[in-house]
Amino acid sequence: MNRCISWVISVLVISPALALGADHDTVAQSSAKRLAVGTCAGCHGSSGVSTMPKFPVLAAQQPSYLVGQLKAFKSRTRGDPDALAFMWGIAASLDDAQITELAQYYSSQRAPSASADQDRAAVARGREIYEHGIESQNVPNCSACHGSNGEGLAAVPRIAGQHSQYFLSQMTSFQLNLRDAVGMREIASNLKPSNLSDLAAYVQSR
Amino acid sequence: MSKSIIIKVQGTTVLQGLKRTWLANFAKSAVMQLPACGAASLLVAASLLAAPQSAFAVPSFARQTGLSCEACHTVFPELTHFGRMFKANGYLFTSLPQVQGETQSKEQRLSLNQIPPLSLMVELSNTSIARAIPDSGGTGVAQNGTVAFPQQISLFYAGKIAPQLGVFGQLTYSNASGSLQVDNTDFRFADVLVLPDAKSLIYGLSLNNNPTLQDLWNSTPGFTYPYQTSNASVGPLARTAIDGTFAQSVAGLSAYAIWNESLYGEVGVYRSAKQGFSNPVIGAAGPLDGTATNVVDGVAPYWRFAYEYNWDRHSLEAGVYGATFKLFPGGSTPTTPAPLHGPTNRFQDIAEDVQYQFLGDEHIFTAAATRIHESQRLDASFASGGSANPRDDLTTFRLAATYYYHRQFGGTASYFSTTGSADPGLYPPGSTLGVVTSANGRPDTKGWIAELDYVPWLNVKLQVQYTGYSKFNGGGNNYDGFGRKASDNNTVYVLAWLAY
Repeated sequence: MNRCISWVISVLVISPALALGADHDTVAQSSAKRLAVGTCAGCHGSSGVSTMPKFPVLAAQQPSYLVGQLKAFKSRTRGDPDALAFMWGIAASLDDAQITELAQYYSSQRAPSASADQDRAAVARGREIYEHGIESQNVPNCSACHGSNGEGLAAVPRIAGQHSQYFLSQMTSFQLNLRDAVGMREIASNLKPSNLSDLAAYVQSR
Repeated sequence: MSKSIIIKVQGTTVLQGLKRTWLANFAKSAVMQLPACGAASLLVAASLLAAPQSAFAVPSFARQTGLSCEACHTVFPELTHFGRMFKANGYLFTSLPQVQGETQSKEQRLSLNQIPPLSLMVELSNTSIARAIPDSGGTGVAQNGTVAFPQQISLFYAGKIAPQLGVFGQLTYSNASGSLQVDNTDFRFADVLVLPDAKSLIYGLSLNNNPTLQDLWNSTPGFTYPYQTSNASVGPLARTAIDGTFAQSVAGLSAYAIWNESLYGEVGVYRSAKQGFSNPVIGAAGPLDGTATNVVDGVAPYWRFAYEYNWDRHSLEAGVYGATFKLFPGGSTPTTPAPLHGPTNRFQDIAEDVQYQFLGDEHIFTAAATRIHESQRLDASFASGGSANPRDDLTTFRLAATYYYHRQFGGTASYFSTTGSADPGLYPPGSTLGVVTSANGRPDTKGWIAELDYVPWLNVKLQVQYTGYSKFNGGGNNYDGFGRKASDNNTVYVLAWLAY
């Protein structure tokens, strides 16, 4: 009986690793990568593609942006509610090397495929705002900073493929001045709720 | 297991069909402290003390991780997916400064929180039963409306204790025992492999003292609804072995792995680890002999498999779990020896569970259910006349649905049912006071719970809970043979629950 149990334990713990190709290199991976897959994955997915829309997609994100945000969490200068609840604690123990490694890890992951679940009309309206802005509301075109395809640039985040729920919660945080980003408070405040919904649909559809 | 234990007081068999393992120890102490009490009073007192010890999510983890309660809990103590993974990872993630120790080859030999993640939990409650129970003195009734101040105070050390080792440790003072006791404890070794496709394989070992305590979902008995109940209400006789019967009286080692945070498997074994036992020959804490009760023959195997699927704001889990306990009834007295060899009673539990969570910003909804079927082969009890049948069965079903608005206002509706074979040996009629007896020898108990909760702060919960019974110990009317109805045991329980 006991031998049987020992055998089952061995099979349960060891075999999956062997069968799936784990080796000593993966065991000896960097602490940042282990953190990403072992801890961050609980919210952001193992490859940075979160299934829960409350949490942002990090795959293919701009590394400079990730570094900036992780440092903002660590220094507690980014103050949206989920930053307080989750990321202040997560980032507190990260050193600069780990932050850089995490940023590199997520930026090197493949971006999620475009979502076709969005309301087409909303996507079209959102695209119009994204590419051309709304002059009457003093809203510039998003593509000027975030790129024509929402890919971002350096410290400006990639927003293509981002969850609409997360996108909207962050726009609210900009409106309430809970996040520090140049110009975004004014832009977010000038957008009407319907504009934000359309933009969120477009962003997620990319 | 509990239902087959035969407790002999002063040479007379007075109770078969006990609810909980440690009841045996209580009975022994009761004999010493209350020699004049009759069997029935022992039954009543034992039942009142038989409420489960509880262990919950604790601010220790918040102190260690720097994360708010909502990261790991919908509303404490129910876990979110992130909370489940934190547990699977051995409670290791920390944002506290560490006392470090490394070799020249950078092998980490020590990683200790500079500030110990300690916390306290206090429960203050009041319990009212629909109809007062008889006074154990034989005249009148007991006072109804039990104020518990406290019902329970627990001290936790919960968090990382070594580079790959964490613990959920709880010491509890309860008004029932009047003493400080070891409560639920779970030591974990855990590590993670990053597989080539960026999937994770979290694996580890759990050393714990309550089967299913180590489980990740709130649909298994270790951490399931009702998360807290009165310890001053009337409890039914029957309970399956895996349903908390062995809490804090066994020690188990299990190995587990979870692939891609979704596919979970665990196997382990449990062996008796009695608290408060003293060997009569040498006066030491062991070895166990025939004076101990409910002793596991060798080890009891435990297994668990589950799959969790997360999408959008939803999480769905389905799984199976089980254990097989072969027990020596024990309980030797000078006139009736019951050595720890020979026939045993075998309790084989096989269970299914399912859990669904919706986690929105405003609305949180959870539904969880489990069904535990127990096959009992009572070779020992039947041979000694402790059970009427050589084989019995018992099935427990529980379903609970919980809703919270903004993690502040919420409530739960729950249905529970335990049914099984009639066996007057296990569920006896009793002789004088009733209440915790069964007139027809059946274990059947059915009812529902309605609960309202107000959570003014994330670590404080104010709760009003109503438990209603349609059937109790086999009957609705006169279930105990002394004129008591199942609904007489309906209970209103008011609780202030603080964790800090």
